Amino acid sequence: MEKIYWQSLEKHTEQQASVLENKKPLPEFSIEGLDESEIKGKSTRRDFLKMLGFSVSAVALVSSCQMPVRKAIPLLNQPEELIPGIANYFASTFFDGTDYCSILVKTRENRPIKIEGNEMSPITKGGTSARVQASVLNLYDDARLKHPFLKGIETNWETIDKDVFTQLNALRDEGKRIVLLTSTIISPSTKTLIGEFTSLYPNVEWVMYDPVSMSAIRKANELHFAKAVIPNFRFDKAKIVVGFNADYLGNWLLPVAFTKQYSSNRKLNGGKKTMSRSYQFEGYLSLTGSNTDYRYGIKPSDEGLILMNLYNEIARVVGATTYSVPASPVDLGKVTLDLLENKGASLVVSGTNDVNIQMTVNAINHLLENYGTTIDLNTPINLKQGNDEAMAKLTKDMNSGEIAGLLAYNVNPAYDYFNANEFNQGLNKVGFKLSFSDTMDETAALCDLVCPNHNYLESWGDAEPIRGLLSIMQPTILPIFNTRQFEDSLLIWMGQNQDFSTYMEKNWQKEIQSNNIEVGNFTQFWNQTKQDGVFQYQLNEEPQPDFVEQKLTFDLPKQNAGLEVVLYEKISIGNGKYTNNPWLLEMPDPITTATWDNYLCVSIDYAKQNDLHLEDVVSINGLFEIPVLVQPGQPDGTASIAVGFGRTDAGKAGTGVGQNAYPLMNLQNGLPQLAGSVISIEKINGKTFPLALTQTHHDMEGRPIARETTLPEYLKNPYAGNEQHLFDEEHNVSLYSKVQYDGLHWGMSIDLNSCTGCSNCVIACQSENNVAVIGKEQVKNRRIMHWMRIDRYYSREESNPGVYHMPVMCQHCDNAPCENVCPVAATNHSSEGLNQMAYNRCIGTRYCINNCPYKVRRFNWFEYTNNNKFDYNMNSDLGKMVLNPDVIVRQRGVVEKCSLCVQRIQEKKLEAKMENRELRDGDIKTACQQSCPADAIQFGNLIDTESKVYKQVKEERMYHLLEQLHTLPSTSYLTRVRNTEA
Amino acid sequence: MIINGIAAKYSLKFKVLLTLGIFFLVLLTSFSASSQTAEDEKNFQLCKACHTIGGGKLVGPDLKGVNDRHPESWTIKFIQNSQEMIQAGDEMAVKLFKENNNIPMPSHNLTDDQVRGILAYIKNDGQIAGGVAQVADTTSTEITGATASEVEAGAKLLAEKKGEERRNMQSTFIIMLVLMLISIIDLVITKLVKARWIHIVIILVAVAVMGELTFVEATALGRQQYYQPDQPIAFSHKIHAGQNRIDCKYCHFTATESMHAGIPPVALCMNCHTSVKSGKKTGTVEIEKIYAAIDNNKPIEWIKVGNLADHVYFNHAQHVKVGKIDCQQCHGEVQKMDQVIQVGDFSMGWCIDCHRNQAVQFAENKFYDQYTKLHKDLKEGVLTTVTVKDIGGDECQKCHY
Repeated sequence: MEKIYWQSLEKHTEQQASVLENKKPLPEFSIEGLDESEIKGKSTRRDFLKMLGFSVSAVALVSSCQMPVRKAIPLLNQPEELIPGIANYFASTFFDGTDYCSILVKTRENRPIKIEGNEMSPITKGGTSARVQASVLNLYDDARLKHPFLKGIETNWETIDKDVFTQLNALRDEGKRIVLLTSTIISPSTKTLIGEFTSLYPNVEWVMYDPVSMSAIRKANELHFAKAVIPNFRFDKAKIVVGFNADYLGNWLLPVAFTKQYSSNRKLNGGKKTMSRSYQFEGYLSLTGSNTDYRYGIKPSDEGLILMNLYNEIARVVGATTYSVPASPVDLGKVTLDLLENKGASLVVSGTNDVNIQMTVNAINHLLENYGTTIDLNTPINLKQGNDEAMAKLTKDMNSGEIAGLLAYNVNPAYDYFNANEFNQGLNKVGFKLSFSDTMDETAALCDLVCPNHNYLESWGDAEPIRGLLSIMQPTILPIFNTRQFEDSLLIWMGQNQDFSTYMEKNWQKEIQSNNIEVGNFTQFWNQTKQDGVFQYQLNEEPQPDFVEQKLTFDLPKQNAGLEVVLYEKISIGNGKYTNNPWLLEMPDPITTATWDNYLCVSIDYAKQNDLHLEDVVSINGLFEIPVLVQPGQPDGTASIAVGFGRTDAGKAGTGVGQNAYPLMNLQNGLPQLAGSVISIEKINGKTFPLALTQTHHDMEGRPIARETTLPEYLKNPYAGNEQHLFDEEHNVSLYSKVQYDGLHWGMSIDLNSCTGCSNCVIACQSENNVAVIGKEQVKNRRIMHWMRIDRYYSREESNPGVYHMPVMCQHCDNAPCENVCPVAATNHSSEGLNQMAYNRCIGTRYCINNCPYKVRRFNWFEYTNNNKFDYNMNSDLGKMVLNPDVIVRQRGVVEKCSLCVQRIQEKKLEAKMENRELRDGDIKTACQQSCPADAIQFGNLIDTESKVYKQVKEERMYHLLEQLHTLPSTSYLTRVRNTEA
Repeated sequence: MIINGIAAKYSLKFKVLLTLGIFFLVLLTSFSASSQTAEDEKNFQLCKACHTIGGGKLVGPDLKGVNDRHPESWTIKFIQNSQEMIQAGDEMAVKLFKENNNIPMPSHNLTDDQVRGILAYIKNDGQIAGGVAQVADTTSTEITGATASEVEAGAKLLAEKKGEERRNMQSTFIIMLVLMLISIIDLVITKLVKARWIHIVIILVAVAVMGELTFVEATALGRQQYYQPDQPIAFSHKIHAGQNRIDCKYCHFTATESMHAGIPPVALCMNCHTSVKSGKKTGTVEIEKIYAAIDNNKPIEWIKVGNLADHVYFNHAQHVKVGKIDCQQCHGEVQKMDQVIQVGDFSMGWCIDCHRNQAVQFAENKFYDQYTKLHKDLKEGVLTTVTVKDIGGDECQKCHY
């Protein structure tokens, strides 16, 4: 019988009914022209020919069987550090114009295969994000340009250089304006270089542009502190964090660093009794909102009013100027009280790009005396330097024909500028158009010259994400294609005969001298810095700049019936730079669990009133059509759409996926904002669009899967919320004797109180273990291959639910239900507690999948490698370069699952044996654990009583998933604790 | 030692091989690789290709007692650049050069102190200065006393066995098939033999034998026992590892650090072949190919002999460095082979057989300290040795992941 997949209960019942009424099961085989009864026992002429054909080809196949000749080709001259089979790690820096992360690049036989977090970085501390993890796949993206292009035709660098040189000089002589439009640049050396470039070509202006801008924060600080900076925020020092539309755990500024800080402040391990409390006011259910203690759904246009009220409440108590404003739509009594009680240890942030709002936030933080404690203006964050006004002016000037040349580096405004149409019209009027894009993106397609930049893993560079913290980027592979680094191009066009690495080294030497930084021998220092990846220098203690009182104002909430739309960046693909990355496209959104698309999230009430259901298609402002997803927690009067989709020139995986929501940005007070535009929605009757969600089940069916308690209750009783564990421990009896381990027993512990659901681990696991991408259709068929998934559950009321994130992978049960049912013993238990899976033994009965209560086993329904139907990274020689050579690529018909990174276990065991020493705790780190920005995952030897995992397992909050089944998993969880009152 | 004891247990092929091998009396001279410093030991690797310490003459003279033969300053100068001294007409140098068939010793870019370190290392017979006995980490692969013809006969046998076995199998299969057909024909048509049980017995035996043969052949599909491809260069392990007694790990130097034993880079060949420009048998033809590779910047495409299936993870360092297994235990007596042939069948049964019997360095390696129960069992005499299997060496995910 045909298999039926369903999305919701209603549909499921519907489908079942229709099937029962209309369809009888079809016969398995049919021979044309015969009834079923006649077929039995008969074979036709065709069958005979089939059999003949099969046997002839089988005989031919067997007799022609020959072993392939395999070659072993050594290098002519093997560099000392390159040993085939041994991985090298290089410290480097990830910066894509938006996100910063200090990383280690794992290379095997000189090709990068995995990104790890750099534990030496004082801010990211070994954490990464899903996008950082997936960035290694971009290196092997077939959409990357392989040559420079001149007017759409492949050319060489000599021609390009000659052409650019002539044009640059001609325009300089004529005194015509050229604009160098770049993303935010945090590289001190590149900045110096651009400075030199613009002084050589004085007609070149430099404009920085961010698609999702934060220029309002800089402006507000300029008004209040005479310093146009984004200050450094210290979430680890804040006992109360109040966020307004700022997804600081997901996308806002430095999410990896902020997650490290935030989670370190909320750990309750080892008898710690305090944790920070967070409040979140937001217009859609963000990752931060899903982790917060108190969440308030608000309309974007209400934000100013609420902040003003909060300011007033605080000002009234501390005795500052108050303003007369209408009452707040939400009750602020509790948050005010908390903030006032924690003066100097609280933090209020807003992600809205509105100067009025940012000024109110500044004023509140000032009244709470947070400057100098949780906010530091002296070590500003250098990200998001985009200047919206300069960008608006550029668009205007281009249209009025004042701009003669445009050099676009690392930006794609033709796609992601809210006013892209006007920008594109203007761009057509520019005579000299050049893009440094490494793919033929929307902007590059409009340019006459395309000078493809290296991937960041092929480049030299440096970065100063926060004042005083320097970070090095170094190449880990020779350029794969005929590309050239942006900085090298500039140097050549400046007539300089040096490459950027030399330039950078000289620049460091110069800067270090002029700033009197003590480093000793420079060469030694330089090599050390390249090895460490980061260098932090001591800054002189300076007092925080003085706060200059300014009059606060706000925009009145919009009083109309329309929906206010909130645009947001997805945790997976961000602002659209990674839309062609199949790993990220297939990563389930931590909240909606949707893959491969964007969609309009509407509130449950709105959906009921307007008869909208999942997958219904609506038209927005007549601009585009988009499917609907009914999202619990979506505030009434709002709807949300992710940006970054709807690319027209992304590459084979990302082109045409979803709809471009950037045109819906809200231009308010001169600045483009993500939220606040009023949209009109029209339902297109009868039209649906399938969405590939990985989890449509939202509750736990009454089973105690994700356990939770509140801080006061936890303090009273450490077993709070986890009483079931005690009960199960007592009542679980077994006829089998418990497995006894000698020496090693691997175990994992996941602290649900730390996990934010950011999905970094999902991609880290995919990258480490060669997990296949299977495409939207197969995801919809429930065949997603991820070894690690993050389950999301809702609790409480639908309009503003509590959200749980729960990473689930193979639990490595000592009483494993899967092991007993395998007819060929392809899955069995190791003496180290691993539930092992031998792919070459598996015959694909899938009994184990059926018998696994955790549903963590994955079946290869198709051959996902070398198969044009799955044209992602495993279908080309280039894409396959990312595969981890230590892990088998699984074939069709076998079951696979989490192995607790057995290749890493074996590697480190061998290392210990070779060094003739005992294995140390922390030697082995699984891929998910290594780069977890929240340090939620611990892995180690459960027999070693000194190990971190052992200590975590002995916490009172420890429980096993579905432990009433007595599967005795080696993986355990720690109860989540929310810092709410009762 | 190990090679005779263990390998003989698992397969008949090995038994045949090794009975013959006993005549060659394999003498395992242990070079202790430890020294005053790791650097001296590393530097001595340069010398090891042509010299031994007390192991007799290789390409160059035995270095035992070299410190007493010449004044130190002379020795240092000679090691650094012997050709310069010979050209300058130093009497002793010219004499040595002539004694060693006019094979020049390549000049070495070593400082005086580094050479002194090497000399001290030689003086101690490759032992640590303080005389602390250390477990040898390399077991050299010397053979002594075997004449060239005897050695060759051993290698030839392997190649011949391959063909012979195949022929035997095929003829047995055909004989059985014919016997079976005859008895079927007689049973049904001619009926010459009255006792029917004879037919049935013959048919049953034939089916059983043919079934067995088919099974053996089928399981051997994808395996390459006795695989002996022609290599792009007629490189002889017999000359290098056998006659010249170059340590396996001199060329396959990553075998102690990585999963791959590694094919040496061409630059490593040049360590010796800058001076050794012609071979006894092939003259300059084959050695020229090395120079051609360097000149054309084109690496040599060797044919891989020992192939494992893709779904197997095998690590040389684990076996060579940690397990202290001789190379020959899996690869056969390569030092006797002109052209390398795969001796073992590299099947899973073959691996597991060894894992079941092979003792691990349980007491010697501190890694194994954590196995408290096994240590207790050893102490109490429940176990006599700890085999690879005892620590989980026959589990799936030790090799398949």
